Amino acid sequence: MSIPARLNEVLNELPAIQARPAGARRVRVDVAPQGLPALLELLKGRLGFIHLSAISCVDWIEDGQFELVYHVWSHEMKLLVSCHVRIAREPGVYVSVHDIHEPAGFFERDIHEMFGVHFDGAPSMEKFILTSWEGPPPMRKDFNTRKHVEETFEWVDYRPDWLKDIERKGGGIES
Amino acid sequence: MSDIAPKYKGSMLRPLKALSFLFREPATLPMRPRPAAKVYRGFHLNDWEKCVGCATCQQICDNDAIRMVHIPALPSDPAKGIRPRRPAIDYGRCCWCALCVDICPTGSLSMSREYIHVSRDVDSYFILPDEEGMHGVRYPQGWAKDENADLLDLKRQEMPEEPPQERADNFSEICEGYDPQTAMLEASRCIQCGMCHDACPAHMHAPEYIRAIFEGDFEKSVAEIYRTNPFPQVCGRVCTHRCETACSIGKRGEPVAIRWLKRAAVDNVPQDRTIAIALKDKAKTKTGKRVAIAGAGPAGLTAAFDLAKLGHEVTVYEEKPRPGGMMRYGIPEYRLPYERIDADIAVIEAAGVKIRCNTKLGRDVTMAQLKGQADAVLLSTGLNKGRSTRIPGSDHPQVRAAVDLLARITLGEAFDIPASAVVIGGGNVAFDIARSLARLQRRAFGKVEVTVLALEERDKMLADEEEVIESAQEGVKLINGRGPKQVVIEGDALKGLETVKCLSIFDEQGRFHPRYDETDVMFHPAQMVIEAIGQMSDVSFLGEDLTEQLEWSRGRIRIDEAGRTSVPWLWAAGDLVKGPDVISAIATGHAAAASIHAALMGETEAREAK
Amino acid sequence: MTTPQVPDPATLAPSEEYDLYFGPNHPGIEGNYSVRVRLKGDVICQAVADGGYLHRGFEKIMEDRLWVQNIALVPRICVPDPVPMEESYARAVEMIGGLEVPLRAQWIRVLMLELSRICAHLFTFGGNAATIGLYTNMFWGVTMRDLFLDIFEEITGARIYHIYITPGGVRRDLPEGVLERIEALLVELEERMPQFEDLFFNNAVVIDRATGTGRMSAEEALAWGVTGPNLRATGVASDVRRDDPYLVYPQVDFDIVTETGGDALARMMVRKGEVVQAVKIVRQAIAALRKVGGPVRCELPNPLAWDLPAGDAYARTESSKGELGFYIVSNGGPRPYRVHVRGASSMHAVQVLEKLLVGSRIEDVAQIMFSLDACPPEVDR
Ligand SMILES: Cc1cc2nc3c(=O)[nH]c(=O)nc-3n(C[C@H](O)[C@H](O)[C@H](O)COP(=O)(O)OP(=O)(O)OC[C@H]3O[C@@H](n4cnc5c(N)ncnc54)[C@H](O)[C@@H]3O)c2cc1C
Ligand code: SF4
Repeated sequence: MSIPARLNEVLNELPAIQARPAGARRVRVDVAPQGLPALLELLKGRLGFIHLSAISCVDWIEDGQFELVYHVWSHEMKLLVSCHVRIAREPGVYVSVHDIHEPAGFFERDIHEMFGVHFDGAPSMEKFILTSWEGPPPMRKDFNTRKHVEETFEWVDYRPDWLKDIERKGGGIES
Repeated sequence: MSDIAPKYKGSMLRPLKALSFLFREPATLPMRPRPAAKVYRGFHLNDWEKCVGCATCQQICDNDAIRMVHIPALPSDPAKGIRPRRPAIDYGRCCWCALCVDICPTGSLSMSREYIHVSRDVDSYFILPDEEGMHGVRYPQGWAKDENADLLDLKRQEMPEEPPQERADNFSEICEGYDPQTAMLEASRCIQCGMCHDACPAHMHAPEYIRAIFEGDFEKSVAEIYRTNPFPQVCGRVCTHRCETACSIGKRGEPVAIRWLKRAAVDNVPQDRTIAIALKDKAKTKTGKRVAIAGAGPAGLTAAFDLAKLGHEVTVYEEKPRPGGMMRYGIPEYRLPYERIDADIAVIEAAGVKIRCNTKLGRDVTMAQLKGQADAVLLSTGLNKGRSTRIPGSDHPQVRAAVDLLARITLGEAFDIPASAVVIGGGNVAFDIARSLARLQRRAFGKVEVTVLALEERDKMLADEEEVIESAQEGVKLINGRGPKQVVIEGDALKGLETVKCLSIFDEQGRFHPRYDETDVMFHPAQMVIEAIGQMSDVSFLGEDLTEQLEWSRGRIRIDEAGRTSVPWLWAAGDLVKGPDVISAIATGHAAAASIHAALMGETEAREAK
Repeated sequence: MTTPQVPDPATLAPSEEYDLYFGPNHPGIEGNYSVRVRLKGDVICQAVADGGYLHRGFEKIMEDRLWVQNIALVPRICVPDPVPMEESYARAVEMIGGLEVPLRAQWIRVLMLELSRICAHLFTFGGNAATIGLYTNMFWGVTMRDLFLDIFEEITGARIYHIYITPGGVRRDLPEGVLERIEALLVELEERMPQFEDLFFNNAVVIDRATGTGRMSAEEALAWGVTGPNLRATGVASDVRRDDPYLVYPQVDFDIVTETGGDALARMMVRKGEVVQAVKIVRQAIAALRKVGGPVRCELPNPLAWDLPAGDAYARTESSKGELGFYIVSNGGPRPYRVHVRGASSMHAVQVLEKLLVGSRIEDVAQIMFSLDACPPEVDR
């Protein structure tokens, strides 16, 4: 596993970039937030990374950061480059890349809804899935699903006959 | 339809072909019930005979669909790892993943080949599965335990050992212990069901210390161990590990090597750290109370450790030159090196316990003196006299007790090593002396002639399986099903032992009462006969008055649950009151210490209240 | 009691455009989904996709569950084509943990994936036909699929939520005789194919309704991030199984089916071709499975004490709907730190759908959605 020379060449043109092979047909690139759009442009224009497969967001709450991962695929090189940027969790603002990759619009909207990251210049930051949700962006690590469920729903208190019978004999459900 | 590509054009009547299907057999299935596929994940079935109530299913269930229900009518047996409870399933939550089936340590859980449950009664969705099936109609079993689907690791990590040719003529330790990596792997097999905790006489926090090892935190593990056991070096090597008998993984596979993990924990923490961890909760202030303890075996030393940590002044009187009791003078060094005992005892001494060796109660110090010096006295003198078979000729000087010989070996006291010997007994002590003697013979004569004569048949042996296997590797012979008849003596010389065939060992009531076939006689030539059929106590130091004052029960001093005798200032612990192993001695030591502490402090409080 | 005042429509100001809510309770919509369309006459001038009706929060829940427990969740993300979900999750975990899937398990997984593709295409095919009024097709498609579900039930113990693929392999080996039963079923399917052909592809109504409907060009499709059969229907021969292969796919002989029309008809043609290819692949898998023995899962630690090493991985799978992606992050703990599911329909159920609907007629909304094989549950997750 190594980084293809053509890719290395292009990456070398940009400042402050770290790249390493990450498995078969996978390269991981870490880039400073301000460098990402240029990186995506260059990959797209020069090496055919025209397919933005996804943008993933990871909440590194203890570091006070969101990690955004742009997975781009080149039909030409048959290679997936995952570009990682880290942005400050507060205020959680970044730029949209939908002008480079149209699919970004969908993922940015999703990340905005689920993590509360705002993408400047995105075509839509409107809700899609959680239309009637008033709470905090639920994919954030500080949103506790279990707690939410405990507060919102009730456990069914089953009283089948067999249970009543066992309880009469001194047994029952253990905590 | 002008824009239709010509190649797609077909007859307008084509779709009418579908009409031909009117006369075909329908593809739909009849509505009557039918069993689903052979591995269908229908409703839960549980074999109550196999289920032990370990609750591992509850742990794996990703939907909180499983509740454990306590059922008092069911058998409960902590020693075997059986709890009186069974899983109940909430079909409002279950997703039919069958992970509970795949992880079930006993293999009691499975799922049926039944498809449907429809009811308006919410309660009918909460069931206590048994083998009858959800609706009492026995559908065949569907998804069940399968070698591939099994989520548990049934094989334990191997313990590296000295091979027979390297160990057969010396007393260096056989087991080398797990390295940290192996220990972590072994620890990862644990499912945290806690059966081990219930089964252990001292109720050690095994799930906790195993978990800590899994996390790579050996110091935390040692801290968990010291909550209940001040002899981790010893127990990590020679404990009878009842925890492993109860281990749920052991129901179908090899139990987690809990004993070896304990050893790995202490082996991987430096002594000074262990001392610091063990003494973390030592009381800052002294109570001013004094406790005298007779006998520095595990029972006495455990009590001493607890009491010293609580701030009492503790002195232990020991007859032998070194403390440790049977751990040192009984258990051979190849199983338990002396420096390991020393390491555990060093921690106990660091807690402030004073040990006076070479001081025998009844000879160098009297009961009255102890009572005079201390506020409470604990007897933990163990069982150190070998029992005799009392067969004809057993009073010959070449008929010896196993414990005497073992003690001599530890003490370095010379005795004439016989070129050939027979050992009467089939327990671990018999093998300890047989294997020790075999080593000495190999050293002295280059060959081994030791025969163990056990009453029991091979598959019912009392000794641990590894003792039987390893002793054979070292040249010890084993003959099963033989009872001793008489020692054969010619003139003054011992010539050997005669045995008869043992037909049965217990009578109908289950009492020890062997029956022999007196016509089936065998002669075993030997220069020495060793009796290893049990030990008894010597409490002559009590003196007449105290012996009279004390209540007795079947030859043993009667005590309450915590070890207190009928004489208010006197407690007893260890083999003296409850055998048969180190961990039981430790458990009784704890109990006695707690009782003594309560009694002493109760007095203080009572006095202060006046 | 007061009667509500309903204004007489005749008194209202005339309006050219009006909004219509298509779904979420519309028989023509795929799953629980909704599209708000603005109409001028019966031509759509704006479309807004509206999801969330099937949001179950899988990604979040998975963060609370053990690595093994999650296998019970993943197939539920997409009902019609659950196997790629299981495959993608397992593979991402395997990539992070460096787990080797035994050869036999790899072939079983290929078998399962292709059977699932056949099922999904039959389902979509039936649904698509129904959107243009051909209900017989729908019954046929669903019936045929059901026979495949019998096979799944036999192999995995469940008809849809198989929970069969697990990190490191599959949960159990194939039952006796199932390969023969699959072979028989493939023959049955092949016998049905000409009938489907007659009823659907050679049907003038279908051809008329589907030709040119929801058309996109190759350039548009690539720019919009379209993948899978929808992309191949525009003439682009792109397939994850070939381009970014996994399991034993490099050893499998199959054609990438393409069409050039880029419209609803071309998309269904591609799917038909893919069923044929899937049959071919299944046969190869059967042949391989007759030869390749051995374990079906690598050794895994106790699931209750399994910490996956820290790391991340992006696994891609060619599902019946396109490129399915699972991005998983482990922080070295017993549970995933993050799981991101890129539903294969993410593009063509939202942005692309919105684009294609503009200019089409209200009667074609359902057909366009079905021809794209938009699967709302995998978008909602
Ligand atoms: C050969 C052998 C092998 C064994 N192997 C194992 C094993 O592998 N695992 C296991 O768990 N258990 C084993 N045991 C059992 C275990 O050693 C005992 O159960 C345990 O040591 C009992 O502890 P205790 O403190 O009650 O008594 P002991 O260990 O017997 O200690 C009693 C102490 O009191 C001293 N003493 C006695 N009389 C007097 C007196 N009058 N004045 C002063 N001091 C006195 C003795 O010298 C001794 O040091 C073995 C026993 C033997 C004999
Ligand atoms: S089948 Fe799965 S969800 Fe149901 S009780 Fe068992 S572990 Fe829980």
